Amino acid sequence: MPRLVKPLPSASLHIVLALLDGEAHGYALIGRVAELSDGAVRMGAGTLYGTLNRLVSDGLIEETTTRVPRDDSERRRYYELTGTGRAVAVDEVVRLQGLVHRIAAHLPGGATA
Amino acid sequence: MSGPRAAGIYSGLLRFYPRRFRDEYGVDMALIFAEQLRDEPTGRVWARGVVDLAITIPARHLEARMDRPPNPTVAVVFAAISVSGLVLGIIGGSSLGMLGFGLAVAVVAGGLAVAAWRNTRAVSVARPATERWWQVLLVGVIVLATTIIVVNVVGEVSDGLWLPMVLTLLAGVVTTAAGLILSIVHLIENRPRRVPG
Repeated sequence: MPRLVKPLPSASLHIVLALLDGEAHGYALIGRVAELSDGAVRMGAGTLYGTLNRLVSDGLIEETTTRVPRDDSERRRYYELTGTGRAVAVDEVVRLQGLVHRIAAHLPGGATA
Repeated sequence: MSGPRAAGIYSGLLRFYPRRFRDEYGVDMALIFAEQLRDEPTGRVWARGVVDLAITIPARHLEARMDRPPNPTVAVVFAAISVSGLVLGIIGGSSLGMLGFGLAVAVVAGGLAVAAWRNTRAVSVARPATERWWQVLLVGVIVLATTIIVVNVVGEVSDGLWLPMVLTLLAGVVTTAAGLILSIVHLIENRPRRVPG
């Protein structure tokens, strides 16, 4: 599958970055995204599952619910990055690092990043 | 408002999502909402949930409409035009111009019908070649029929057209035979098997 050229939309970006830590279910993902964004992004369930649905369709993540037996009394769906998804997430991290670096270089006081 | 009651109201609001999305994720969304009610102040969860619903319900409906496969009517219309062209060519076959026009309409409209039909399929799934037996057979029969009609209309084939005509006829015979062989293989591969035990 070809790599995405355009930057990911905000919700997709936060989810693929949150999944770099490993598989997670929906509620854990909301928590990870909130933690990663320092509380700035609190996703609702509609945004979360709409984005997960699109990421699954694009082949960036896959559902892993039935892959291993789980000690989970409630029915939860787990997701993890595919190989392509991981590569895209890493590309996004590099892109964001570059962005921060370039912006920092133009800020008053010079490069600090 | 109690947690279970609030979760029940939220579950009711999920009915506004498109059915497919709701069937796929509705249970998980209700579960997450209940967990948020357990861990956060009710007012904050509701405020976030209502905004989320207001934004994502129209978005999911829009996506559902965009994902809907195109209407096959276009393919049917082009197929009808193609058949009409073929009929016109056969009926007016005494005139070479009419035959050419009819066949040209049949070929062009047939191509557009195939393209439109392919476009109506949401997902292209790799299928074994034997499942395409009817397409091969159809092409073979059309080539054979067209060649025979042209030969009958033209009457005596000139020296320059003799070789292309024979090669076309041969191609029609081979394609028809291939279609028949594929259909037999397809029948054998798909015959009902008895389950042991």
